Amino acid sequence: MLRVIAVATDRTVVGSAIQTLRQWASDAGVNFVYAPDLPQAVRELAANRWDVVLAFPGDRPEEALAWWRDALRGAQGNPALIAAVGRPSMGLVLRAERLGVLDLLTLPLQREDFLRAIERLRSAATEMPLPLPEPHAEVAGPYALVGQSPAMLEVYKVIARVAGSNATVLIQGESGTGKELVARAIHVHGPVASGPFVAVNCAAIPENLLESELFGHERGAFTGAIARRIGRFEQAARGTLFLDEIADMSLSLQAKILRAVQEREIERVGGAEVIPVNVRVVAATNRDLREAISQARFREDLYYRLAVVTLRLPRLVDRNGDLLLLVSHFVKEFAGRYNKGVASISDRALELLRNHPWIGNVRELRNVIERAVLVAETDVLRVEDLSEDLRAEETSLPDRPQRALLTLAELEARHISRVLANTNGQIGSAAEILGIHRNTLTRKIKEYGL
Amino acid sequence: MKRVARDPAAPVPVRVERALRLLPDLEALLPLRALLISTSRPDERQVWSSSGPYLTLGKRGVQPDDLRRRLGAAVQRMSAHVEALFRAYIEALDADQRRDGAGVVAALLEAGRLEERVGRSTQAQVWYDSALAVAEALPNRRPEVESLRALGELDLGLGRSVEGARHFQRALALAEAEFDQVGAVGACEGLGDAALAQAQWPGAQAWYTRGLRLAQESEQGPAIGRLLHRLGRLAAQQGDRSAAAEHLRVAAERFEAAGAAKEMAQLLNSRGTLEADGGQTAVAAASYREALAWARRADAHDISLEVSIRVNLARLQLGLDRLLEAEEQMRRAEQLAIAANLVGSLIQVYLLMGELRGRQNDAGGFVFFEQAIELCHTLERSPIFEARAYRAYGEYKNRLGDREEGRAYQDRAKEIMSTLGRTDEIERLSEFLTRVSA
Repeated sequence: MLRVIAVATDRTVVGSAIQTLRQWASDAGVNFVYAPDLPQAVRELAANRWDVVLAFPGDRPEEALAWWRDALRGAQGNPALIAAVGRPSMGLVLRAERLGVLDLLTLPLQREDFLRAIERLRSAATEMPLPLPEPHAEVAGPYALVGQSPAMLEVYKVIARVAGSNATVLIQGESGTGKELVARAIHVHGPVASGPFVAVNCAAIPENLLESELFGHERGAFTGAIARRIGRFEQAARGTLFLDEIADMSLSLQAKILRAVQEREIERVGGAEVIPVNVRVVAATNRDLREAISQARFREDLYYRLAVVTLRLPRLVDRNGDLLLLVSHFVKEFAGRYNKGVASISDRALELLRNHPWIGNVRELRNVIERAVLVAETDVLRVEDLSEDLRAEETSLPDRPQRALLTLAELEARHISRVLANTNGQIGSAAEILGIHRNTLTRKIKEYGL
Repeated sequence: MKRVARDPAAPVPVRVERALRLLPDLEALLPLRALLISTSRPDERQVWSSSGPYLTLGKRGVQPDDLRRRLGAAVQRMSAHVEALFRAYIEALDADQRRDGAGVVAALLEAGRLEERVGRSTQAQVWYDSALAVAEALPNRRPEVESLRALGELDLGLGRSVEGARHFQRALALAEAEFDQVGAVGACEGLGDAALAQAQWPGAQAWYTRGLRLAQESEQGPAIGRLLHRLGRLAAQQGDRSAAAEHLRVAAERFEAAGAAKEMAQLLNSRGTLEADGGQTAVAAASYREALAWARRADAHDISLEVSIRVNLARLQLGLDRLLEAEEQMRRAEQLAIAANLVGSLIQVYLLMGELRGRQNDAGGFVFFEQAIELCHTLERSPIFEARAYRAYGEYKNRLGDREEGRAYQDRAKEIMSTLGRTDEIERLSEFLTRVSA
């Protein structure tokens, strides 16, 4: 029997409404409990398993829904969230979808709406488990390259061709396509495999520290240099230095890198000694370096030094057939790590994964599967185990029952919202993409409550 | 679903590290700096990049357009703040005209509190000092007690526990002479807090117990709950788990009955830590989650409290090796701290993130410690935070096998702690250094 807990956030839910809800729940064969305030609800959620939280978020619904999304992550059984609000704006509807709210009901509650939401929940319980294939990794161990798509076979061929030499390699590809894994594969199969593999993420390190991180520094070289530090170039001696996100460094530092790569010697910051370094350099970027060169943000001479061999990695959506193999690989990895018995995935969960745009490529997929395995309570990965963002995409799947056919305004609001998300809220850029005047866009944003 | 390409015409945001370097260190620009930080956003291009897990405040981006858009509201807030200060001052003049000395003090103290609320501690101190100067000349000593307590609390907030204790001592002596029970209880609380900050457990115990007795005699309900909570935390620090649990239980009953949501959240935060230290991890997690619910229910949302609860929850998950959940919780705390410009809380979050990377043997985790130290130097300017950052950095370096650098950071932490007279912290560091050397 489904178990529903109703929670009033702002004490505006009157007893009679709860009585009515209790009656509807009983008619629908649902076990219903009411928690008059948040702390009591959280206690209930910690103590018992619930299938649905029916929240009455009150005056600030957006904030409350975000709070609930976070609170439910720690609850047993991944309860679904249904919210009841007075006159939801289009913006709230869209944000609720993004937060993974199963249904947004309008106050005063209608019996049909409540029953329809319960019915949707029941229909979600009809997922069919699909067995996961045995993944085949190209490189064993924690740095496995997984995939048999034609795009990946091309990558393996290039790795095999360049690994044996000492040539500098530039790996290009979108974020999360596995550039570091490929760099490691080149290292492992190359002549310096017995040496260290040292990775530096140039974009993560504060601008003023990157030089000392790469070349090291002597004690007292600058404020904060309270101890001598051996730089990454030296740490990678007789091995491979992987310079990730290479486009993200100042022009002056690029000049120093060029010198280190060309002359194979460095100087620590604040040091006078010239130190010879013998390292193979593999660089990577998710940016278009040629464009950066044309904008004078990247040195052309350094580009040609690094791009002796260039390797371009495919996006996950372009790796036909690899998704299931990767899912299988990650499920095995995380089921082992978290001691879970997950061995299959449901048809609907897989369909959602297949329809997701995977902006973050394999890194995003890995993250999604790790989270899903962590929260899974059975041996099948189900839709309810996936993140809220993915679950929110369920309505866009083909052949899925929609809540209702969209009106033109709803469709417009959804599209505007998506474009705004992609322009980071920049109204000017969004208006340009949409092909409308920014004043028109501002008006529509206001009108739809986006 | 289709992939929507990022608009290539959209200007690349300016990195916060760069934006802060361009901002002169002028007092008048502090609100702009706060606006810059709270307006910053993670660069969408970096969310899924390999630098994503290492993102810190400095690597977030800020759009000049965003700043421009919010400038009006920020200036309005500033102007409202200045107006409130002016009004408080005029109120003081009114009171002076009425020859109401207590009214003058109350108005000046109010101005100080307004300054404290927006994080302007130095300015708050000036207002409190002025209030104290007026209060000292009054025949009625209660305003002086209040002024001294305000100064003591400010001192404690800034980590100046010795000065804080001095102010509370004077407040207590005056309050007792005046039969001011509320003032006396408040002074005892402050003295206990000052002793606790200096790791003087018996002193803290004595002050809290005395405060509790006075509060019970004068039936000060909220103070009784607060003091029981403090006694509970103290007992936990001394390892007396059952006494701690009992104090916290009684305090919780009082707070819950009174519907004191914020106090309840604080208490559950402490209880969660007690339970986590005792290995009751599931119970601790439930306490923290309930604490979040109470914090949300409180009338005025205290973001620093929420950040503190989330940091504790993240620490618990870290201890359980639930790294993904710990990181999610830390990022949530980071967002809140940045949006509310809570630099001290942000430093705490980054130290924990660095610890997480240390557990993963990740050499890239040093960026969190560097960012925390940078924040200590430029924004928070708190030596105690800086010392803690160096201590954590040292532990991280040691874990990764870099003994020389690790020791240097620990030595630096010890040096700062010595200047602050924190014997407890120095002992802890010395023990660690001996262990590492062995």
